[in-house]
Amino acid sequence: MCVLSFVPSLATADDSSLVAWTQQRVGTVILKPLAERGGSRFSRSRPPPHERRVRVTQSTLSSDKQGREFIPFSVDVRFGAGEWQRDDIVGCAYRASGNLFVKVGEAYFPAALLLGKKVEALPGACEARAAGS
Amino acid sequence: MLLGSAFITVMSVPYFDFETLPAFVIEKLPLRFEALWLAALRIHVAAAALSFPLCLVLMTRALQRRARIHRWLGRIAGALVLAALLPSGVVLSFDAKGGLVVTLGFLLSAAIVGAAMIAGVRAARRRDFPAHARAMRHVLGQMSVAVVSRALIVGLDAASIDPHTAYVTALWLPVLTSVAIVEWQARRSLVSRRNRTQLNERLDREESALGLVVRVRALFRPVAGHGR
Repeated sequence: MCVLSFVPSLATADDSSLVAWTQQRVGTVILKPLAERGGSRFSRSRPPPHERRVRVTQSTLSSDKQGREFIPFSVDVRFGAGEWQRDDIVGCAYRASGNLFVKVGEAYFPAALLLGKKVEALPGACEARAAGS
Repeated sequence: MLLGSAFITVMSVPYFDFETLPAFVIEKLPLRFEALWLAALRIHVAAAALSFPLCLVLMTRALQRRARIHRWLGRIAGALVLAALLPSGVVLSFDAKGGLVVTLGFLLSAAIVGAAMIAGVRAARRRDFPAHARAMRHVLGQMSVAVVSRALIVGLDAASIDPHTAYVTALWLPVLTSVAIVEWQARRSLVSRRNRTQLNERLDREESALGLVVRVRALFRPVAGHGR
């Protein structure tokens, strides 16, 4: 009884640490470098958003076809005092390696793409294995 | 404008770094024809970096007085615009962010540049210089959109305007305003030319009448003097 009563609270602690880990990882690998890079002024590229926030869209880990565990996330942006624009960046963080992938079109690329690195898409990345397979 | 053009050129240098992807390219991904789009971007930037300052210089009185140099530089600018700047710009316009309304804005601007350049060259060949100047002002006006539009994007961002609205406004507003300013200038100079012609004709008429009076008075003055 005692053990059972602890299970939910332990699970919540795990969930919150997972969420915190993902937010911290996305912040370090994507948001901070993007903020430091800024936007090129006097260019037709989109001005950098005034604010970005990370949303962890799932509180539990999923596994891809190779059995690697990942957690999906989204980055929302806000320009000025406007509304938050959801899903400006969509991606996933791999728990074991800490690697981040972002969705461009229908494929997932290493997050380094957002910082200007020429990288190839990784087939099957961030795609959860169908239940029972 | 020259400063703005130079600034754009400097900001566009990363497009020629073949190892990395500039922010402007990243936000366009995935592109349907990536290699074609990137080639068009580089051609467009290089052609603009040469033709825009060239067109600005061609508008100066100093170069307009040197007809031979003006003619040759004009040919280079015309060839750059028609063979490189416009076709590459049209390719880029189909993947412009902001969708159809922005694509149409770029295509309209390209159509004005193309039509005005051809009309301007034809006018120069038949030595109709007012028509040549008017057409070339349209070319330069649309080229200046590159500078004005970027300045507007920066300004509207500072005013916390939504980037999509800012992008559409920053394109259409200078495109249409440039056309309006050039046409207004052309009409004004036409009116002032007409007024000047009318004034000259009136002066000629008055001068001839005045001349007659002066001549008649000069003829009679000695007689009048003797009479006193």
